[in-house]
Amino acid sequence: MITKFLSFLILLSTTLAFSQTVNVKGTVKDLESGQPLIGVNVIVKNTSKGASTDFDGNFNIDAVGINSILVFSYVGYQNQEVMVLNDQPITVMLREDAEALDEIVVIGYGTQKVTDVSGAISTVKSETIENLKPLRVEEALQGTASGVAVIQGGSPGSKPTVLVRGIPSFTGTDPVVIIDGVPQTLYDLNSINSADIQSINILKDAASTAIYGVKGGNGVIVVTTKGGRNNEKTEFSFNAYTGFQSVDRKVGLLNASEYATIINEGSVVSGGNLIFPDISTLGMGTDWQDEIFKDAQISSYTLSARGGSERVGYFLSTGYLRQGGIVGGIDKSNFNRLNFTANVDVQLSSKLKFIINTSYANIKNQSVAENSFNSILGNAINFDPTVSPYNTDPNDFASYGYSNLLLSEIFNPVQRLEDTYNENNGDKLYGKLELQYDILDRLKITSRFGYTKWDQASKSFSPLAYYGPNNVSSDYNPDGTVKTQEVDNGDGTTTIIPSFHNSVTERKNSNFNYTFETFASYGFTLKDNHNFDLVLGVSTSKSTGNEMGTTRQDVRDNSWAWADISAATGVNTKLNTNAYTGYSFQYLERRNLSYFSRVNYDYENKYLASFSARRDGSIAFGKDNKFANFYAGSLGWVITNEDFFNYDAINFLKLRGSYGTVGNENVDPQYVSITIGGPSYNSTANSNGYTFGTEFVSGATVNSFNNPFLRWEEQTQYNIGFDATLFNNLSLSVDYFNKSVDGLLFTEAPPLYAGTSEPVKSNIGSTESKGIDATIGYRNSSVNELKFNTSFNFTTSKNLVTATNKDGTAFIAGGSYFNGQSQLATRFEKGYTPGYFYGYKTNGLFQNQSEVDAHATQPGAQPGDIRFVDINNDGIINDDDKTKIGDPFPKFNIGWNLGFDYKNFDLNMFTYASVGNDIYRAYERNAQFTNKDRSILNRWTGEGTTNDAKNPRYTFADTNSNIRPSDRYVEDGSFIKIKSLILGYTIPESLNAGFSQVRIYAQAKNLLTLTKYTGYDPEIAGGILDTGIDRGAYPQARTFLIGLDLKF
Amino acid sequence: MKSIKNSIGLIIILSIFLGCSDVVDFDPHDEYQVTERDYLQSEADYQAMAVSCYTPTQWLNQVIVLGDIASDNAVAGGENASDVVALQQIDDYAILTNNSTLQDLWLSAYEGVNRTNYLIAYKDVNLLGNTVNFEGKEALYGEVHFLRAFYYFNLVKMFGDVVLFTDHKLGLSDFGTLQRSPKAEVYAQMEKDLIHAISVLPTSQSQQGRITKYAAQALLGKVYLYQEKFDEAVPVLQSVVDGPFSLVPNFDDIFLLSGENGPESVYEVQYSNGQPYYNWGGQTRGQGNYAVQQCGVRGFNGTAEMPYNSGWSTNLPTQDLAAAYEDGDQRKDATTFDVEAYATNNPSLNVTYQVAPYKNTGLYNKKYLPRKGQTSGQVELNYENNQRTIRYSEVLLMAAEANLRASSPNQALAQTYLDRVRDRAFGDENHRVTATVQAIWSERRLELGMEGDRFFDLVRTGQAADVLGSRGYNPATLGLFPIPQREIDISGLTQNAGY
Repeated sequence: MITKFLSFLILLSTTLAFSQTVNVKGTVKDLESGQPLIGVNVIVKNTSKGASTDFDGNFNIDAVGINSILVFSYVGYQNQEVMVLNDQPITVMLREDAEALDEIVVIGYGTQKVTDVSGAISTVKSETIENLKPLRVEEALQGTASGVAVIQGGSPGSKPTVLVRGIPSFTGTDPVVIIDGVPQTLYDLNSINSADIQSINILKDAASTAIYGVKGGNGVIVVTTKGGRNNEKTEFSFNAYTGFQSVDRKVGLLNASEYATIINEGSVVSGGNLIFPDISTLGMGTDWQDEIFKDAQISSYTLSARGGSERVGYFLSTGYLRQGGIVGGIDKSNFNRLNFTANVDVQLSSKLKFIINTSYANIKNQSVAENSFNSILGNAINFDPTVSPYNTDPNDFASYGYSNLLLSEIFNPVQRLEDTYNENNGDKLYGKLELQYDILDRLKITSRFGYTKWDQASKSFSPLAYYGPNNVSSDYNPDGTVKTQEVDNGDGTTTIIPSFHNSVTERKNSNFNYTFETFASYGFTLKDNHNFDLVLGVSTSKSTGNEMGTTRQDVRDNSWAWADISAATGVNTKLNTNAYTGYSFQYLERRNLSYFSRVNYDYENKYLASFSARRDGSIAFGKDNKFANFYAGSLGWVITNEDFFNYDAINFLKLRGSYGTVGNENVDPQYVSITIGGPSYNSTANSNGYTFGTEFVSGATVNSFNNPFLRWEEQTQYNIGFDATLFNNLSLSVDYFNKSVDGLLFTEAPPLYAGTSEPVKSNIGSTESKGIDATIGYRNSSVNELKFNTSFNFTTSKNLVTATNKDGTAFIAGGSYFNGQSQLATRFEKGYTPGYFYGYKTNGLFQNQSEVDAHATQPGAQPGDIRFVDINNDGIINDDDKTKIGDPFPKFNIGWNLGFDYKNFDLNMFTYASVGNDIYRAYERNAQFTNKDRSILNRWTGEGTTNDAKNPRYTFADTNSNIRPSDRYVEDGSFIKIKSLILGYTIPESLNAGFSQVRIYAQAKNLLTLTKYTGYDPEIAGGILDTGIDRGAYPQARTFLIGLDLKF
Repeated sequence: MKSIKNSIGLIIILSIFLGCSDVVDFDPHDEYQVTERDYLQSEADYQAMAVSCYTPTQWLNQVIVLGDIASDNAVAGGENASDVVALQQIDDYAILTNNSTLQDLWLSAYEGVNRTNYLIAYKDVNLLGNTVNFEGKEALYGEVHFLRAFYYFNLVKMFGDVVLFTDHKLGLSDFGTLQRSPKAEVYAQMEKDLIHAISVLPTSQSQQGRITKYAAQALLGKVYLYQEKFDEAVPVLQSVVDGPFSLVPNFDDIFLLSGENGPESVYEVQYSNGQPYYNWGGQTRGQGNYAVQQCGVRGFNGTAEMPYNSGWSTNLPTQDLAAAYEDGDQRKDATTFDVEAYATNNPSLNVTYQVAPYKNTGLYNKKYLPRKGQTSGQVELNYENNQRTIRYSEVLLMAAEANLRASSPNQALAQTYLDRVRDRAFGDENHRVTATVQAIWSERRLELGMEGDRFFDLVRTGQAADVLGSRGYNPATLGLFPIPQREIDISGLTQNAGY
């Protein structure tokens, strides 16, 4: 009421002063950078009089009445109004409007105002990306985008697990990635510099994803990179940071004296001798974790330029990132990326626009063996702590310390680390060529060719090694000569040849894929208020690739320096056919053809609707099933735009609902293939060929079954939700979703009598996922010097496999690990969550023989052993008693962002919590002489000492098989991590020496982790059947950085 | 200008719609993939496929191991009670229906059946309806028929009634449609296959390890013996006895590398380390003999001259077996290896070893003890030791048994054959015993100890309950192993009694 009155007064005063006019001049600048803004609209309020700013940001309007009001408006900036008081030049500083930018979301084949969206879409803003400085883009999605669950890995550059709204499919759970309209994969996100990203939108419900059809069921991540800005002076920006990473925490293992004591006890209890007769000299021994964890540097530099003329806009960027790994240090484990990006748009004529986005990335990395008991970390956990890293006895050929107890499988981790030699060098070129043609005012045709070219060359070297005289894997005799063997020449004579050779392997792979699509978009309005937006198009895509590799033996000096195929000297002979070998193969050529259409509708921004239809064709399916149609629609109602709605507390309220289907084609075409030659490493070890006498003869066999009826997997999803803004500052968005999959592509369970041909995929299962995504945000809008914003994200999903095949016998077991036996700890099976932990439930320890006798028959059980639960009550403990013992996926995730601005300081903290995710601890090799977890010190030593099933008696003769997969190894992996804490200071303009902006900051990543998990890191990424299985996974580093952001 | 631009746009759109109908057609040849329609077009294709019909014979090495472990000959050792659980169950007669070793053997034998069926189905015409003729095709098919019989024989002796199919390799539409057939029918099929094989196979092959007429006759003889068809067994075994075979004077030499495919060898499953591929996801499926590593002494070390490698101590001969040998029988030391005595008797070799941690007997299987220089690559999985599947001495003992138990027994012939086996064992003629049925059965244990026949012999001769009763053997099982639970779940087969 008051504002209306004021404007009335102003209007009155302008009218009164109408007779007085002046010529107004002035300059418009960006508030933050101080750069002049080109093309800003300046209009005299309530008139048609106006101008726009020139290349220097200047404007000039003649004959403007004193006291009239100038309105300055510019895309992406907040409007500003200035009253004309006299003819003095005025300077106007426009403030960039983050909210305004976010009002546009990128949807399939177009954009939409966020208030008009009736589907479910999450958005990650560029400021979030700038704050988090993610190494991979997915890091910025963790906890910031509701409905997205991200489980990160620790190895530099490694791909995380990303789940958008649960686990609907078996054949693959990666969401589709669209970069500037071009379909890519999650793997491609390792090559993009996060500083180049403008925004990320995650399309979640069927209505939003259906237009992407193929694989859209796993969600779509739409990445938009920065583009040019027309009519703007070049803005340069330079960002750099550097810091170091270190391991957050170690695992509690036995020291040398404790180890010897336990080994002695285990031996004596099972009737053996003392292994270490004198423990007193052993002391602490070697903590192998200290030997292999190394602080590693990380540095990043980005330089970019952005601007444009009237017809050409450009964004140019180059960046370099070098990240070391904490397992082994930067010399053995690292990720290096060099980026160049040029995004250029040219207005060729008034109707024709050409866009070329080109990015090149060079990725070099070195890696160490990880996530298994015999990886570097696995060796460090399990190796004998009484051994020294290096051998100092000059009479002993060994250069490294070795164990006389551990004689196979587990080795000195320092030696294994130093003997790790590999490098990968990849070049990726990706981008798009796009023509936009405006046929009519709002009718546009877009034709776009998007492509990715990825070539990688890799090299690795396996040197000959000596692990001591008694180790089966020693390639040398104790005198330093290479071990030899006698071979039969086939004519009654024999020859002595070396048994082992070092070798170098080189691999090259080359991949190319493209998507070519053309679509028309047409917007029109009927009867003033009925707004339509149509899209109609066609898309074809293709991906191809091939790989070649060569291995050659006998590298000079047994040294990496000479490790190259050209310098190795191995030559094949009759007695050694492996001296010089090679292979090559073609990747499947995958092709798709799709037609798509969509209509968006709104009435007075009040009633919203969207409908899309898509016809998809895939190479993967049989002749009759290649094509399938998918439809989706959504409705929205903006209640606050209704006349009857007048609650001041609620500024905005929209109800949304959607329903639709999408398809999944993530299988290979099926046909009966013949394998010819040597072994086939298919999933069933269906080997081939035979030896006649001493001669190996190649064979041929049928490798696979065939399913001619294979068809599209169909996912149906419905979604209901609302978006609201309350009290001007509080925003709230909540969605409930339900996905169900029919015709789930799943691996058949062939009868065993059908043999070992590769099982087929069939449409035999179904799954169901449901959950809630929610975001709540608060931003204070006061003009105080202290600004404050905070937001919460909440993501939950419940997943259930509702069928696999008709009798449920088709299941897939995974999560394999080795603790003396090969164990499988996870399953994808009817009636359970995908990837659940499968094993025995425990019920304490047998305290005495009468407890053993009273329990169901459990062969080999003695007092002190674990009492397993007789789940089926049949009086005997056997495999039928295995059941669900854990779930690797969290019940819910929460991301919490907190930001303060005070004067020139800014502070931002991002916290992420995962609740209810279990971890299966699988890194203990559990051999007699491997090192043990410290928890063994609490073991059962007699009746009443402990009843904790995690601490059974210790003996070499584990007659009860206490090591079988059971909840003994399942731990609660819930955690809260302070993922990022950043404190920045922007140097006042008066001191910044010609730069438009200078900001320095310090950042800590993974600063603090609160968890009950006893391993390194409760985030264990992997496929659905490997998530949460900790075989000694590479932990994420704690990182401290200092950085500098410059704009000029 | 305007019309040009308009037409550019139109051309772009049209160009996409044109010629797109076949975009999503798939041709495996684009990936250079050979499909079954491309194959069996030449002699070479038939020959290569026949080679891979042999491959699953290598995967059956655990039949040998459990043939002794399930009997009084051996125990399943390993690192502890929870090591090699599948073999422990068999050793303890507490076999669960999901026993992984039995499941793998069932699967492997059926892969052999499917491979041989496939090749036999396309003998006359291939998938395209063409006939490929070449010299030696009939004889080649003789090998294939032998192999099918060999796979079924292994199935029947372990599981009794099994699923029988002979006309094709199973495909999707067959899944779940088949049930078990009475073992008599399966035996009849084996006889048919072997008789056909005998009619076309040559008596010798240029490549070692190829099936000969003698191998087929010896297997047929064994198949008859298992059915107690002694009258039929006598002539077929007689032709092998009269074949070009002889007993190796020094028993131990049979099992050396130099003894492979020797004068006593009737049929050997061939292994090598020449193509040392391996796959921990299928330990038994490489070109090497997995069972050898199982026999080794743990931590076995010594000087360079000490000839043995270490192993896993998972298949340990019993003292009971060692005690069964008389003094002077060279087969005792060649079958049961006393590691402590070896260390004591060879001080110059500086022998060290780890006492078998579980079920230690002090003895190891000398016949297949892992030897230095006979493996490469992944050393555990690549021992090149051939499995001596049918030796001439076994043919003599089978012939002796058949002659004794035939409707018109020939005691003299039986005595001659038994004498030949015992004379070689003792290196003299002073240890002959009267050829009774029991004597021949006992001799089989001594001659073939740790070669995987003992348990099946005890079952077929009806001695299992008597001999193994004290060890926990359950007579209700009739000496059969359980049908794999997974197969029962998927295919709805019936389970054997006692499980």
